Amino acid sequence: MAGKTINTPTTYTPSPTSQNKKRSSIFTGSDWVRPDGRGLHQCRPAFLRTGAVNSASGSAYAEFGNTKVIVSVFGPRESKKAMMYSDMGRLNCNASESKDLSSMLLKALEGAIILESFPKTTVDVFALGVGVWWNIPYIAGDLPVVISCASLALADAGIMLYDMVASVSMSCLGKNLVIDPVSEEESYQDGGLMITCMPSRNEVTQMTVTGEWSTPKIHEAMQLCLDACSKLGKIMRSCLKEAVSAPQE
Amino acid sequence: MVGLSLGEKNFIKGGIAQDIRTDGRKRLTYRPIFVETGVIPQASGSARVKMGATDVIASVKAELGKPNASHPDKGKVSIYVDCSPTAEPTFEGRGGEELSMELSTALQRCLLGGKSGAGAGIDLSSLSIVEGKVCWDIYIDGLVVSSDGNLLDALGAAIKAALSNTAVPKVQVAANASLDEQPEVDVSDEEFQQFDTTGVPVIITLTKVGRHYIVDATAEEESQMSSAVSISVNRQGRICGLTKRGGAGLDPSIILDMISVAKHVSEQLINKLDSEIAAAEACEEE
Repeated sequence: MAGKTINTPTTYTPSPTSQNKKRSSIFTGSDWVRPDGRGLHQCRPAFLRTGAVNSASGSAYAEFGNTKVIVSVFGPRESKKAMMYSDMGRLNCNASESKDLSSMLLKALEGAIILESFPKTTVDVFALGVGVWWNIPYIAGDLPVVISCASLALADAGIMLYDMVASVSMSCLGKNLVIDPVSEEESYQDGGLMITCMPSRNEVTQMTVTGEWSTPKIHEAMQLCLDACSKLGKIMRSCLKEAVSAPQE
Repeated sequence: MVGLSLGEKNFIKGGIAQDIRTDGRKRLTYRPIFVETGVIPQASGSARVKMGATDVIASVKAELGKPNASHPDKGKVSIYVDCSPTAEPTFEGRGGEELSMELSTALQRCLLGGKSGAGAGIDLSSLSIVEGKVCWDIYIDGLVVSSDGNLLDALGAAIKAALSNTAVPKVQVAANASLDEQPEVDVSDEEFQQFDTTGVPVIITLTKVGRHYIVDATAEEESQMSSAVSISVNRQGRICGLTKRGGAGLDPSIILDMISVAKHVSEQLINKLDSEIAAAEACEEE
């Protein structure tokens, strides 16, 4: 990445990646010990920053553990394929690798944007990740990170939103519910759940579940995810406030 | 699809609020389901399902293949849906691609369960022949012939019926294969084993229009929806997959309520489907 140094103290220490670990047998039945030492209901520490890309209307950079994502937002600008007049704005998402991901990102963000505020034009969202792992169709891998980062970028670009969009995923490993799984944990999961919600409005914009779940388990998982989403929402808001109140250089 | 006038839209929404839909059904009633199996003789199994004007065909082909290095004791299943332009002119070329992908992903999520294999409708370990070397590759293809709403439920039912109709040939592995060589596999032409579909879940899509949910929406009703949640439930009443579609936000309590409604509806649907499939198979044998 060229040039710009970010002058803030780091908020996490990266855990060393061990590449050739043998697939250990899991499930001692009682407790799953997480490879990075987190508690079962503890999310990865999040580092969020807006204004990473100067030339974009808005952008954000997010680091969750080993996953680093940059999202840049361009727009509202003239739609390329605008042959038809539309009194609602359009959202176009592009997540580096696959169309699958781009469409999931689109669905997650659509519900939060006030499309009527930019008729006839399009807002483009581009996401790029390092150390991101995707795994459609089982569950979304690090898609929650991209969604949260994208909503921060949209706010940075000044696009009108109903609310911030926070997203969290969870794995079911045997009897344990593990929040914010890493790729290793997810490869053993019995079931996965990803929720994207608007914390202040208490509304879910996207939800996907795979694997076998009983109803009480889904209740519990949803509750944990929604709590984590509201905490993530607060972190995102404080990041935005910091960016605005920081002295201009 | 012909556009709807404001009066028609109000009629649809008002009817749903009063539990009488445009075709006279109640909110939680399915359209009559018609199942026909064995429609594609070249495939290992196939079925055609009609729900009202929605018409879909599913076919299953089993071929020998090599298992994934990360899961040597499991077979592979791949699901792909094609939306034919005969259903909607907008499906021609790239138009139908987005919908096809959405449907394929949702079906894979519902039928293939968690990574460890728990909750899968199809037991992947039963598809393994020689661990690490030979396994069955199952290709499930769905084709949308005519679309009048509720494609996902119809495809789910068609896949369930096609799998019940699937006969996988019995295989015999040559006994003295060394560890490195590809073992010789003799595929029998005579003997077959039927797929066990008691674990295959059904998919129920609940469409929210106004403040109520309906099951089995027609294309007109779907155009008025604010959001839809597709829930896959198996015979034991466990949730095997859930996808929310549509942009509007939903309160979490509503999602939980939808899950319990889906479980309630699933019992009747599973029984209905099973009896239709059994009748279709009996018909085919005659």
